[in-house]
Amino acid sequence: MSWDKTLLKQAGEIIELYPQKRSALGPLLHLAQSKDGYISDDSISVISELLGITEVQVKSVSTFYSMYKQEPTGKYLISVCKSISCEINNSTEVIDKVQEFTGLNNNETDEDGLFSFEAVECIGACGGAPAMQVNYETVEGINAENVFSLCSWLKESAPEVIVADEMQENFGGIKSFDWAIQDNTGATSTAPGFQTLKTSKVKK
Amino acid sequence: MSEVVNLNVNGIDIQSDSKKLLIEACEDSGIHIPRFCWHKRLDPVGMCRMCLVEIETPRGKMLVPSCTTQISDEMIVDTESDVVKKAQEGVLEFLLINHPLDCPICDKAGECPLQDQTMAYGPGESRFVEEKRHFEKPISISEIILLDRERCILCARCTRFSDEISGDPLIEFIQRGNKTEVNTFPNEPFKSYFSGNTVQICPVGALTSTSYRFKARPWDLKSTRSTCNGCPMGCSTELNSSQNKMLRILGVDNDSVNQGWLCDKGRYNFEYLNSETRIKTPLKKLNNNFEEVEMQEVYSEISELIKNENTKVNFYLGSNLTNEDFVAFREFANSISNNDNKFYLNDDVLFQGFFNEDVELGKIDDLNNSDAIVIWAEDLKERLPVLYLRVRQAVKNGVKLIVFGHTNRTLDDVAEIFYSDEVVSENFEIIKDLTKLEDFKSLIVEKNVTAIIGKSTPQQSDSSINKLFDFLNSNSNLKILNAFTKGNTYGAFQILDNLKGTKDFVNEINSENTDLLFVVAADPIGRSIYSKQVKKVFDEIKTVVSLDNFKHETSELADVIVPISSTLGEKNGTFTNIEFRTSRIDKLVPSPGQTVSDWEFITSLMNFSGLSNNSYSLEELNTKAFEDLDIELKPYFDNLDKPSNLDGIINRTTPKIATSSSDSEKVNFFIGEKLYGDSVTERNSESISLLGAKKFIEMNQETVDKFKLSSGNCLLEQDNLEINVSYTVNNILPKGTIYIPTNRRELNKFDFSKKIMITPSRVKEALNVN
Amino acid sequence: MRETILLTQHMRSNPEDSHLIDSYEKNNGYVTAKKTLLNSSPEKILEEIKSSNIRGRGGAGFPTGVKWGFLAEDEDRYLVINADESEPGTFKDRILLERDPHQLIEGIIITCFSANIKKAFIYIRGEYAKPARRVQQAVEQAYQKGYLGNKIFGSDMDLDIVVHLGAGAYICGEETALLNSLEGRRGEPRLKPPYFPAVKGLYMKPTLVNNVETISSVPWIIENGGEEYNKLGVEGSTGTRIFSLSGHINKPGNYEIEMGGSFGEFVETLGGGIRNSKKVKAYIPGGASAPWFRGDQLDIKMTIDDVANNNSMLGSGAVVMMDEDTNLVSAAKSIVSFFAHESCGQCTPCREGTTWIEMILDRIASGRGRTSDINLLLDVCDNISPGLSWPPKMTTICPLGPSAVSPITSLMNDFREEVERLIPTKVLL
Ligand SMILES: Cc1cc2nc3c(=O)[nH]c(=O)nc-3n(C[C@H](O)[C@H](O)[C@H](O)COP(=O)(O)O)c2cc1C
Ligand code: SF4
Ligand code: FES
Repeated sequence: MSWDKTLLKQAGEIIELYPQKRSALGPLLHLAQSKDGYISDDSISVISELLGITEVQVKSVSTFYSMYKQEPTGKYLISVCKSISCEINNSTEVIDKVQEFTGLNNNETDEDGLFSFEAVECIGACGGAPAMQVNYETVEGINAENVFSLCSWLKESAPEVIVADEMQENFGGIKSFDWAIQDNTGATSTAPGFQTLKTSKVKK
Repeated sequence: MSEVVNLNVNGIDIQSDSKKLLIEACEDSGIHIPRFCWHKRLDPVGMCRMCLVEIETPRGKMLVPSCTTQISDEMIVDTESDVVKKAQEGVLEFLLINHPLDCPICDKAGECPLQDQTMAYGPGESRFVEEKRHFEKPISISEIILLDRERCILCARCTRFSDEISGDPLIEFIQRGNKTEVNTFPNEPFKSYFSGNTVQICPVGALTSTSYRFKARPWDLKSTRSTCNGCPMGCSTELNSSQNKMLRILGVDNDSVNQGWLCDKGRYNFEYLNSETRIKTPLKKLNNNFEEVEMQEVYSEISELIKNENTKVNFYLGSNLTNEDFVAFREFANSISNNDNKFYLNDDVLFQGFFNEDVELGKIDDLNNSDAIVIWAEDLKERLPVLYLRVRQAVKNGVKLIVFGHTNRTLDDVAEIFYSDEVVSENFEIIKDLTKLEDFKSLIVEKNVTAIIGKSTPQQSDSSINKLFDFLNSNSNLKILNAFTKGNTYGAFQILDNLKGTKDFVNEINSENTDLLFVVAADPIGRSIYSKQVKKVFDEIKTVVSLDNFKHETSELADVIVPISSTLGEKNGTFTNIEFRTSRIDKLVPSPGQTVSDWEFITSLMNFSGLSNNSYSLEELNTKAFEDLDIELKPYFDNLDKPSNLDGIINRTTPKIATSSSDSEKVNFFIGEKLYGDSVTERNSESISLLGAKKFIEMNQETVDKFKLSSGNCLLEQDNLEINVSYTVNNILPKGTIYIPTNRRELNKFDFSKKIMITPSRVKEALNVN
Repeated sequence: MRETILLTQHMRSNPEDSHLIDSYEKNNGYVTAKKTLLNSSPEKILEEIKSSNIRGRGGAGFPTGVKWGFLAEDEDRYLVINADESEPGTFKDRILLERDPHQLIEGIIITCFSANIKKAFIYIRGEYAKPARRVQQAVEQAYQKGYLGNKIFGSDMDLDIVVHLGAGAYICGEETALLNSLEGRRGEPRLKPPYFPAVKGLYMKPTLVNNVETISSVPWIIENGGEEYNKLGVEGSTGTRIFSLSGHINKPGNYEIEMGGSFGEFVETLGGGIRNSKKVKAYIPGGASAPWFRGDQLDIKMTIDDVANNNSMLGSGAVVMMDEDTNLVSAAKSIVSFFAHESCGQCTPCREGTTWIEMILDRIASGRGRTSDINLLLDVCDNISPGLSWPPKMTTICPLGPSAVSPITSLMNDFREEVERLIPTKVLL
């Protein structure tokens, strides 16, 4: 097995939470994603052994969900919403801009492993349309201009932790609702599921 | 509880069992509802939506899938309304928009439900102008199965079969929505013993077998029903041929036996029939070389021998003979003047069996109707694969399974209790007081129990299985399935008294008591764990006559080889299975060259040599086979042209088996046969040879560590025999125990009553380099 | 129109730290749960919920008290909070999770007390990383205080909560798909019958599945009484409800109101009117699955029944306004694409049909449409949802497939000329 002790211990704790082992499959896939930035065949083998199911059963589940990536993702996964509220508020312009900046088509990752881009379905930020996420941290009220600045900032300052408040303040616009509560907790990888498992990082 | 309910379908009143699904109830009354995903033997998924019908509800008419709708009293159903027709046409159109137009080269064409239903219900023209969904054309998902994802209509039959029925979910849906495809995991091919069933139940040509691919068009096929004689399960089959060549075997849904399923060995092991190397002319040894001779010459030579009343004749019979073959040998043996002849069956694991008058013999269906199943036998998955499926099915229906010993480790995932080394020692003795196993007792005492008991390995003594049997017999309402594992063993028991096995053969037969030995369709030197000893016996005996299909390690030692026809489509006869169900084996293709049925050869020989004036017919032999049985059952085989009673009839006697019991030896390995070996027929059946008898052994991790093994390979040594094998880790094996599969020609050359040395092979390899 | 503040009271009065347990407790948090566990009875709680006449806030609007009443007897029963909120236009659960997770936890405690449940799961969509963090933190705080775990509030009750993250699949909002997902399987809806969650749910055990907003309402109802709640709103749509307003609107956002006012009033007052003083061409009254209303139908009342009587649904409470300049074909295409992307793929009509519709719309939108496409579009829709009526007839296991048909029927019934206009009159074949 090629998961290290810490990861295996964490996996064990997750499995404990559920009345039936197999329920841990989703969270373990998030864990795998946090390790490699995608669901590697190796992780699939590890998980299949941990849960006592076949590898293809793991694969079957992991490919059903769009957040488990089958290919390595970049450091920053940019997901721009294209569902109805965003669509009618010109999300296509935002999408075009990101594509122009990164040179990426939908569901592609650049060669440096910096950016991955995807146009996604509703991310629950319709009031702040158009909206997007970077590593699943939301920015609302963006437009073609400020998304360009956002991408440039990501590229230039390469932050280790992506904090929604920070992005919103510097690049966002109208919001779905008043966020009020100050929050410095953010994402360190493309696996948000990993972070709820008590290992979230705080930006100093 | 099920009850009879009345429903009205298309204005007609019908009655059915309340437990039935609407699609079944309609089917029973002759109303066919089109379907793709529904399969009688699989849990309904209601995915294809082809079976939509209308029912009346308090809120008006509603479209429902008939394959998931339980019927209820006074239900009013319309399967032909305009709404239904439109919905069905719609579904069909949806299925076709992405379906490739490669029917002309598709194996399924002509017997394809999608094609048929398109004819019957289809829209007639395509309104889909966009690009169809594309996948790489057939990809190979195992050595013998190909998958064409473009043809797949996502009915989930293959995935359900492997998950629900065979318990090895190696084929699954990948992706979702419109991108959904069926596939396997890259490093984990579809290596199921039952994979051929998915090809058979695939409603389109998405899953195909390399064995049958491009071999025939369904409209050229001739077919007949028959019975598989690969193991004592006796699965019902349909044989298909084209241009007098056997091309395919399908499973037939015999409710009480195999319910449509076959193992891959039963399905593909017929391929040897068409092998180039098959013997089709009698061969006689001259100066250590075989030469082709006329059958007359064979008859006259053997006649000479048997006419001499001093010639002592004995028989070593294969288990693939028909009951009628066995009768012919019995009649023959009785007619020889020196008639102290003995019969040995090519079985290394023969035991006495539990056939006392006060034991109730079980039926396969009893598995489903018991409270608990107790198993201690050879690994069912390896030896009686479809019985293994029936056990799994019973467990799925709520029957509790208790497994003794590590030999049946493939059932541990569904067993309620799996007794390994804490109860059964590594040399197969029960080491715990059964009365103290509380959880076991709670499941069996005063319960309806069906037990599958047999020797779990050749080294096992009878005492422990007797102990288990006695305990069950006195504490539960017991039905027993004796777990013999070779072909038509049960038929042989019914027809031949005092049958013995290979071990007895090597202990008893020598040049003193045998001048002429018949070896019939058996290769004990190539295939038995007593290989060396058998060879010694053969070397001593003056004349050996082999009836066989091939030259192999045993037949090559014979003086004469008589080419015989196969039970897989080349001859007629009957077969008796594990529950003493006798069913038909049918002929479909001509017996090639000068091949003859065993019974034909033997009865002709009797005539030729004047031992009998009677020219036996098959019917006569059949009648004789069941002479001792219930009179009513006799007409069973009355008319060869008309298959009578296809599912077979159960008839029972109490056979007298004369195998010697043995004491358990202290051994630290356990031996047993895998489903796939390298017997001569398997070597000559391409599919089976691809699936392959890999040389390997198994042990648990502690044992691996104990022997300091690491490279995945090790060396087995005994006297001057050295074999390099790979090992796999199997933690269900007790500590220190090594499992050696013995149906491999190299591995069965050890003397298993003695020590075998195991060392890391690394050292040897390193030495070899120098 | 004015807001009626029940569920959003605490988060409004404590904008800086409403998510923390101390803040919540200062605002009388967990008082109701404690009282309930120590002094009330499961039957009494069920009675209050029944008399409140609250209907589920997840979309289907099923009476919550009735659902709880269906829960079959069993030693193991489960509560699953549906926080998968993924219906385009909807973001009301997000605010409840992010800004007042303790209210939800308190609701869970009371619900589990009433239904004798010892294990609850909060299934949050994976993209809600921040809300999930907040909920996880809140659950941990509640454990620390002894409000979760064993013998909570010193009563006999044990309760564990597991926060479970989804991973990007709208269909997992459908309750049986959610249960499959929670069991570590593909999020495919189960066959109903026989798998009604209240009888055979998680691990085939009786399971309550309720929306975040539904359960967040429980503390208020129990504290103030079902009768009080029932007085709010109108018959059939009692209490308050959080509407998510978005689209071409001046003040998009979540608004907690009593049901009963009209959409027009809602848009004009709380929503601050349409941007740039444009007119409404069409609007979606209850999430992407709901058929649209025209701009001249703004006086329809915002109640479950009024909307249903006008052949649409209040659904998840997501109101999306589309102004006069909106390209409705693109809008419809966006919605159909959504459903095609989110189809689980089990049912042939949904799997194949939604993608086909998407392709046809795409052709029309990009000027490559054929005259025959209009009938084709409608007929393909008809093959997914026969009769194109409302509520939809189904050829599928779950309502997702038929939902994809809603925007097309709206488009074709009310805005057909917009589609026709895009089709070149002469097509060379
Ligand atoms: C396709 C589909 C998606 C759904 N998505 C959600 C959802 O995201 N959140 C939700 O609470 N209910 C959703 N539902 C409704 C749930 O199936 C279920 O009715 C609800 O969770 C029950 O909770 P309630 O009674 O409290 O409303 C969805 C239903 C369907 C058919
Ligand atoms: S309607 Fe669509 S989403 Fe719903 S079960 Fe069928 S295929 Fe899946
Ligand atoms: S046969 Fe009923 S849905 Fe497929």
